[in-house]
Amino acid sequence: MTRIRSPRRVLAALLALGLLAGACGDDDGGDASPTTEAADDGGSGEGDGDWRTLRVPTDYETIQAAVDAAEPGDLVLIEPGVYEEAVDVTTENLTIRGLDRNEVILDGGFELQNGIRVLADGVAIENMTARNYTTNGFFWTGVTGYRGSYLTAYRNGDYGVYAFDAVKGQLEHIYASGSPDAGIYIGQCYPCDAVIDDVLSEYNGLGYSGTNSGGNLLIVNSTFRYNRAGIVPNSGSYELCYPERETTIVGNVVYGNSQPDTPAISVALLGMGNGILLAGGNRNVVERNLVFDHERTGIGLVPFPEEEANDVVPPQEDWERPCAETRDDPLPERSEEELALVLWDPVGNVIRDNVVSGSGLADLALGSLQDDLASLGNCFGGNTFETTAPAQLEALAPCEGDPTATDWTTGALDLLELMAAERPPSIDYEEAPTPEPPAQPNMPDAETAPPRPATNVPFPVDLAAITVPERPEGT
Amino acid sequence: MTPIPDRRRGATARRLAAVLVSAAVIGSVAGCGDGGSTDVTAPDAAHDHALGGDGGTDAHAGRGGHGPVGGPVGEAVSARGRAMGPQGRVAQFTVECGHSHSAPDDPIVHHGKPGRAHLHDFFGSRETDAHSTPASLVGTDTTCQNRKDTAAYWAPALFRDGEPVPPTKGVAYYRPGVGVDPSTVEPYPEGLVIVAGDQTATAPQPLDVAAWHCGASPVLHSDPPECPRTAPLGVRVAFPDCWDGERLDSDDHQSHMAYSATGACPASHPVPVPQLVFEVHYPVWGDPSGLELASGGVRSVHADFVQAWDQATLEREVRTCLNREKVCGVVSNRATG
Repeated sequence: MTRIRSPRRVLAALLALGLLAGACGDDDGGDASPTTEAADDGGSGEGDGDWRTLRVPTDYETIQAAVDAAEPGDLVLIEPGVYEEAVDVTTENLTIRGLDRNEVILDGGFELQNGIRVLADGVAIENMTARNYTTNGFFWTGVTGYRGSYLTAYRNGDYGVYAFDAVKGQLEHIYASGSPDAGIYIGQCYPCDAVIDDVLSEYNGLGYSGTNSGGNLLIVNSTFRYNRAGIVPNSGSYELCYPERETTIVGNVVYGNSQPDTPAISVALLGMGNGILLAGGNRNVVERNLVFDHERTGIGLVPFPEEEANDVVPPQEDWERPCAETRDDPLPERSEEELALVLWDPVGNVIRDNVVSGSGLADLALGSLQDDLASLGNCFGGNTFETTAPAQLEALAPCEGDPTATDWTTGALDLLELMAAERPPSIDYEEAPTPEPPAQPNMPDAETAPPRPATNVPFPVDLAAITVPERPEGT
Repeated sequence: MTPIPDRRRGATARRLAAVLVSAAVIGSVAGCGDGGSTDVTAPDAAHDHALGGDGGTDAHAGRGGHGPVGGPVGEAVSARGRAMGPQGRVAQFTVECGHSHSAPDDPIVHHGKPGRAHLHDFFGSRETDAHSTPASLVGTDTTCQNRKDTAAYWAPALFRDGEPVPPTKGVAYYRPGVGVDPSTVEPYPEGLVIVAGDQTATAPQPLDVAAWHCGASPVLHSDPPECPRTAPLGVRVAFPDCWDGERLDSDDHQSHMAYSATGACPASHPVPVPQLVFEVHYPVWGDPSGLELASGGVRSVHADFVQAWDQATLEREVRTCLNREKVCGVVSNRATG
C-alpha cells in the first residue's frame, strides 16, 4: 500500500524521536508513550500492562505492517497523514488509534473496499477518519468484543461503521455520512450486547440500520438527521438470526430524515421520509426521543414485505433463542407458496414518552395488512404528538391499562401512501453532494492514553437518567 | 409475529402486491441497475439474434468424469441449492460487478477468434475480448466494486422475444465448497480458467450447478420462473472447487477442475479452491415465456471465469475470510433490492 505524505508526519516523527521534547500536537500535552517496538512501559492499560506502542509511519511504514507486527494488547498509534490502505486485523485485543481524528485519514480512493476490516476479537479503533471506500469505512465481522470511538466515516459505498455477526460492542462518538446503506449498522446478532452512544449520522440512505439484530442493543444520546430515513431496525430472512427484536432506542434527536439527494439502497428509498421506522421490528422500546420534521411518519411501525424469502417468520417461542444457537439450524423445507411472500409485521413494540411533531402522514403510526392490528401487541403511551394513524392510537393500544377506543379504521395508516409514493432516485455515493464533515472532537489524550482493547464492552448506560433531548438550535 | 391464516394468505399477498407493484418506487427500485426495467411481456420484437454460434463444437459441453456429483435435477427445490440460503451462515467474500459489455467472444473456448462464440455478457474486466489472457487482464479497468478484482466473468446473453436483455449486475460469491473444511481452501493460482455448466444442455442440469431463481430466493428452477417485480429473475452457476494442482487450463477446458463431493475433493483433483458461485441478475419479471439464452433455449446455462485478480488481494481474501471462516461481506440482494 502507498501512503500520501503529510507535513504533520515530520512533526510527529520528530516528536516520537524526542527531538522536540516538550512540544506537542494540537490536542495533546502529555508525555509520549513508548514509541519503539521494544518499548514496554508497564502502563496503565486495561490489560496486563505488558504492551507496546507501534507507531505509523515512524516504526512501520503502513498501518497494515504495524497491525501485522502487533501482538494482543498492543497499541498501534497512527500519526497524521492520508493512508491509502485497506487494513485487515486478525490479531486479538489490539487498540488502533489515530493521533488526530481529523488528520489521520484512511482514504480508499473509490478503489479499496474497507478502511479497517476486523476479524479478531476485542479490537478497538479510535480517533481517525475513513472515507471513499467502495464498501465500508470501519467493519467488524464475526467477532466477540469490538469498539469504535471517535471515528469519522464518510462517503463510503455501503456502510460507514458496520458490525455484522458480532457481539459485545460499543460504537460511540462517531460521525457517519454519505453511505447508501446505513451510516451506522449492527446486524445479525442476538443478543447483540452492544451500545451505540453519541453518534451523528447524516446524509446516508439510512441513519441506522439493523437487520435481525437486538437483545441488549441500545441506541442512545445520538442524532440522526438528513438521511433518507432515520433509525430503521428491520427483519428479513436473506440473512440469519431473524427477526429483529429487542433494540432499545432512547434519548435520540431524529429530524429531517426526508433528504432527497443522498445515495440510497432500495430499502432506504422505501423507508424515505420516516424518523424511526420499525420495519418488521419486534419487542423494541422507543422512549424519550425527540422526533420532528418528516414527510411521512415520525415513529412508524410497519410491515416489511419479503418476496421470494428464504424462510418464514419463526414462532415467537423461538425469539429468545440466541443467534449462536439458531444460526446452524437447518433451513426447513418450505413450499414455494409459503416463501412467495413473507410479511414481517411489527410486534410487541413499546413507544413511550417521545416528543414527536411535524410529520406528513402521522407522528405516530402503526400499519399492517393484518385485519386485527391489536393482535400485534404494540403499545403507545405518554407521547407528545399531534397526529396518529390510526386516530386515537394511544387509546387503541395503551401501554398501561385497557384500551379506551376500539375503532382501528378511522385514520388508518395508508400503506400505499407510505410505501408507494415516488421517491427521488439514489445518487451514486461518489457523486452525491455529501458535505465534507466539519472537524470532529478528538478523543482525550490520544498520545498518552494506554491501549484499551474491547474486552470490557459495552459500557454501562444509565437509561433512567436519560431525558428527552432539547431541540437543537436553529431547527 | 401473528401468523397469517392460510386462507387469508392469498388475499393478503394480492393486496400487498397491489400496493407494491403499482408503486412507482418499486419500479425505480427494481430497475436501479444499468439496464432499467424490462417486463418479459413487453411488445414483440423480431427474433433475429444470432443464436448458437458454433453449431455445437464448443468445449463447454461434455463433462466427462469431472462433472457435478449427484446434485438434484429438475424443477424441485434443491436441497444443495439451499446451501446458498440466508447469507451470513457460510464464510464468504463477495464481489458485485456491473455489466461491462456484450460480444460474441469467448477467450477460453474460442481464444483468438473474435465473433466465433454466441453472444456473451461480460462482467469484471472491461477489456475482455477474444484475445484476452489472464495476464492481459490483470490490472485492467473493472466493473467490479472491488477494483482489485480484474477477473473476467461471462455468461450467455439473455434474449426476450429476440431482443437482448442487458443484465442488471453480476454477483460473485466465493465460498468453501459445500462441506469442505474452510481452513484447507487454497487461493486460485494465477491464470486459472474455469468453465461451469453445459451450454449444449436441453435437459435440466443439476440445480446445484446451474439454475434460475427469483431475487434472493433459495428456490431453484431449471427453467426461468415467473418472478415478482420486487425479486427479479436471476441465473446462478456454481463452479467446480477442486483443482488438479498442475494445469491452469486443459484441452477441454474442464478436466483440470472437478467438483467436491461430500465435503472432499477427489484424489485426481486434490486441491480445494474457493467455489465461485456467479449470479447474473436481470431486470425481468412476470411471464417468462419468450426468454432464451444465446446458447439456445433456457437450459443451456453456463458461465466462464478467467482468474485475473490482483493475486495478493485474492490470496488475502481467501486466507482472511475463508480460512478463518468469516463472512467478509453480504450482497444487498434483499427482496426489494
